[in-house]
Amino acid sequence: MKENGPAHFLSIGTITVSFFLFASLLLLPLNFISLLEAWEKKVQIILYLKDGVGEKRTIQLAGELHREEGIREARYISQRMAMESFQRDLAGYGGVLKGLKAETFPASFEITIKERFRTPGRIRSLAARLSKIKEVEEVQYGGLWLERFSLFLYTLRWGAWILGGILVVIIVSVTANTVRLTLYNKRGEIEIMKLVGATDAFVKLPFYLEGGLQGLLGAGGSILLLFVLFHFFSLKVAPYVSLYFGQLRLSFLPPNLIAWILGIGVASGLLGGLLSLRKPARI
Amino acid sequence: MVSSLLEVKTHPHEGVHTGSPMIQFFQVYKTYPGNITALTNISFKIEKGEFVFVTGPSGAGKTTLLKLIIRVERPDQGEILVNKRNVGRLRNSQVPFLRREVGFVFQDFKLLNNKAVYDNIALVLRAFGHKKREIPKRVRQVLRVVGLEDWVLKQPPLKLSGGEQQRVAIARALLNTPAIILADEPTGNLDPGLTMEIMDLLEKVNALGTTVVVATHDTTLVAQYKKRTIPLYRGAVVDKG
Repeated sequence: MKENGPAHFLSIGTITVSFFLFASLLLLPLNFISLLEAWEKKVQIILYLKDGVGEKRTIQLAGELHREEGIREARYISQRMAMESFQRDLAGYGGVLKGLKAETFPASFEITIKERFRTPGRIRSLAARLSKIKEVEEVQYGGLWLERFSLFLYTLRWGAWILGGILVVIIVSVTANTVRLTLYNKRGEIEIMKLVGATDAFVKLPFYLEGGLQGLLGAGGSILLLFVLFHFFSLKVAPYVSLYFGQLRLSFLPPNLIAWILGIGVASGLLGGLLSLRKPARI
Repeated sequence: MVSSLLEVKTHPHEGVHTGSPMIQFFQVYKTYPGNITALTNISFKIEKGEFVFVTGPSGAGKTTLLKLIIRVERPDQGEILVNKRNVGRLRNSQVPFLRREVGFVFQDFKLLNNKAVYDNIALVLRAFGHKKREIPKRVRQVLRVVGLEDWVLKQPPLKLSGGEQQRVAIARALLNTPAIILADEPTGNLDPGLTMEIMDLLEKVNALGTTVVVATHDTTLVAQYKKRTIPLYRGAVVDKG
């Protein structure tokens, strides 16, 4: 590779940038998923009841809710408890809140959901079932934005793989052209080696290895670059982000994904070498 | 054979003809794209252990003839037998093994100028699958056969004289103890003194039983060495040797 240094440097640089984009797009959903999971744990369904639901019916409702599939706990919040909670939350405005009556606040059930039911689809379907209860005035849950966020992540993940496919084509083409350039520079050497009786395999092997090595170095470089940036983000930026979004549990690409990226790098490089040697010098 | 040249120090003596054919051309025709006729109806036989000149002016077809022997080119018509192999019908995968039986010496030496002399020879040995530990000994041995000392090992070819470069090229051609040496204008770039040295070296190789075919346009050289000639003119044999 040293005979054709600048071209190899450019080629490895291009592969590094390409794989960096790909790996970043894989890393983002990975961390957004952990954020999503943290938010899903906090998701509650609140059933606001109509006025005038009696105590006996409320107890019956609590039982029915406990028996409902997917509900872990259903805590009843009476009109008085709602008012007291409201007054506690807005204690600084004491004078203004003095005239409030408990009847102003609707009674409700705060429902926490079993872990395996905390997916956007299941939360939506549970909320839909609960809204059909005659005594329920309104159902509130933070599921709609969770659903949209989940869809966004799904799109991002597929986008990463589609972009990855496009990048692989670019990488193969870049590697093939660099190997072709080396092939051109070494055509004299190849001609001599073939004339003295070197086999095709002996002549071609260094070019395959060169392609594979370029792919490996490019992919490895991208992982290293991403890791450095990720480390910087974890140390310097994440603490500020946590102030707004709560504790962030950041994670880097798992080893198997890194192995895949390196493998794709080597395979693309080898394919590039293979394509450049499709029509070897006819000697 | 060259093997004995590599292993035992011997003195040159008369080439040994065994009578068995080493190279045979049967009505061979070769035309290049653009309808350029290179060879027309070429037939000849070169025996094992013979030293033969292929002569003729530039464009007579000498290089094409040598290229056909090592299957760089294929004939359009006719058959070529080299050491009992039908070269035209050889599978591509078999061509490298044919070339290992035929050492080729070029006018422009065709050495790798960005590599030392040692690497020029060692690379070929690696291509032939020699064991790594045997290579240094073998390189020194073959260079001594062509009269070069160890000091050349680390030199790039361009630091050597034309004669020394051609000796390295001949050493490379002898590496696999070939049955045939083909030399295409091997003295074309050399002065008369060095020409004699290289020709004497080729005679020495021939004297040990290797068939030697030298393509040259140098009529003085041909007259001096008194070997059989295959004279070519415009792609045809004008007078069978």
